[in-house]
Amino acid sequence: MSEVPLIRLADVTKVYYLESGDFVALDHVSLDIMENEFVAIMGPSGSGKSTMMNQLGILDVPTSGELFINGKNVAVMTTLERTHMRRDIIGYIFQKFYLIPLLSAYENVEYPLILKYKHRDTSGKAAAVLKSVGFDDTLSAHRPSQLSGGQQQRVAIARALVNDPKILLCDEPTGNLDRKTGFQILDVLTGLHKEGKTVILVTHDPKIAEYAHRTIQLEDGKVVAS
Amino acid sequence: MKDIFFDLSVRSVKLNFLRSLLASIGIVIGVVAISSMGMLGTNMQLSVKQQLSSNVNTIMISSDVVRTTTTAGTPVTSQGIDKSTLNDIRNAAGQNDVIPIHRTSTQFTIGSTNGRGSIIGLDPNDITKFLTIDQGTNIKGGSDALVGPNIASNFNMNIGSRIKIGQDNVSITRPTVRVSGILTTRGFTSDGVNTDNAIIVPDTWYTDHYGDKDLYGQVNVILKNIDTINQTEAAIDDKVNRKTDVVRISDASSRLSSISSTLGTITTFILAIGSISLVVAAVSIFNVMMMSVNERVQEIGILLSIGTEKGEVRRMFLYEAFILGIIGAVVGGICSLVIGYSVVSAMIGNTAYFFLPESIVYVPYGMFIGIVVCILSGLYPAWRASNMDPIEALRAE
Repeated sequence: MSEVPLIRLADVTKVYYLESGDFVALDHVSLDIMENEFVAIMGPSGSGKSTMMNQLGILDVPTSGELFINGKNVAVMTTLERTHMRRDIIGYIFQKFYLIPLLSAYENVEYPLILKYKHRDTSGKAAAVLKSVGFDDTLSAHRPSQLSGGQQQRVAIARALVNDPKILLCDEPTGNLDRKTGFQILDVLTGLHKEGKTVILVTHDPKIAEYAHRTIQLEDGKVVAS
Repeated sequence: MKDIFFDLSVRSVKLNFLRSLLASIGIVIGVVAISSMGMLGTNMQLSVKQQLSSNVNTIMISSDVVRTTTTAGTPVTSQGIDKSTLNDIRNAAGQNDVIPIHRTSTQFTIGSTNGRGSIIGLDPNDITKFLTIDQGTNIKGGSDALVGPNIASNFNMNIGSRIKIGQDNVSITRPTVRVSGILTTRGFTSDGVNTDNAIIVPDTWYTDHYGDKDLYGQVNVILKNIDTINQTEAAIDDKVNRKTDVVRISDASSRLSSISSTLGTITTFILAIGSISLVVAAVSIFNVMMMSVNERVQEIGILLSIGTEKGEVRRMFLYEAFILGIIGAVVGGICSLVIGYSVVSAMIGNTAYFFLPESIVYVPYGMFIGIVVCILSGLYPAWRASNMDPIEALRAE
């Protein structure tokens, strides 16, 4: 393993201030994730999995403690820097796919390239990535609503990959799919890990966690096993 | 280079076609209101100015009504302009035409129909200096008369018709004049001589029947050169009003400017009424944009979470407002030309000025305001969309 971790949580606490009282979602969590790891984050609902995902995905910042991603302290970054980091370093794969409904499969995949380079893709990269997840030109022209769940998740994976991110952040990626399709998607993720991606998989299903090489167990906002 | 955010906006507009259409119709109405009201006002101003400026070169002199009296309690009366004052005016006016005018109003009878109108006494030689005869000839004989076009058509007068002048009273034989000619329409004049409903008689005939010899109600000075208006007025003022104010001197140019400024105020007023419809349109655009934002919360969450900059999300919604504005403005611009033309021709009856730059400019002007109103209405919804918390937004259903 390389010496500098890709992700480092140092004593990270996340508190939600609610009217019913403060809710500690992450309680002094310290954790390192190295480059090219395949990590599963497990735990029952309410254990802090989603909060952890939001932290790792730089969608949120810790209440206290420090979070370093790719060597940078997230807390001291501007909103725009965080936005750019999400765009360039992280690929998101969600349970509900979260494709942009107004765009075709191809345009969904092309979208992050446009965000990064500010112009339409002329390199053929979007088409190439779509092809690698089994999409041809005809299928690529469809809107998300015209695709099956498995197909939508493949498009979502292609979108996550197109900017060549270091980290793939997968939040219950098989949660909305049947078993067979789910395992196909996991096979795709395994392949991507082999190609050198750091894959972080949030799940409550131990069978799915088995695909990972390391499992981080969360309970009541604390890491109980890693 | 095609902007994907523009594409997204276009698709959103298409997806909610009916809603977007209705919002745009609001803008169409606003643009039409502003453009056609503006054009109506401008055409009104231009056509009134045109009518007024045809006799803008005339100085009107009338007796000063307020005269100082030496004895307390003596009524203050207007006496008219007497012969010596007229001579002073002639001297001060130099080369310019000086036209003394007698005037009163009278009852008259043509055939068996009674009517009422102005009767104006003029030196026949002065008539052609500022009046145009449409049919017939100028006054030749001592009991010839010219009539205005309105009076002529209302009473079916022809050349040779005879008019009995004065109160219809069986015990008195009334004097009769013979129509020798009919004048052209003057419309609203600014030299104080409204002839459309008048009977013009020779000054000798007038003084024979009404008295007032060498005493005139009004004296007009028609300038050969409009630029000398101020110095001529000053010369008359110096000469005639040396000790006390004997006459009042006015001219059409000051009246023209005061009428123009009144018309300008009216134009502004009707424009303001037109703008109310744009305010209503702004509210509807705002509403549609808020609906668009609220319906697409999750989509906004996706865009933000996968690395879309706030500014880009803002741009997407501003484009949407802009598209609604463009549709409304273009359709509104076309409708403005049609409706504006109809309104101007119906209300002013003269479309000669419609395509002049100062009139037609209201179309692009209205369109521009329509688009600006749309973008302004889209500002808050766009700001709201771009400042959403991506986590919260993703969770929305």
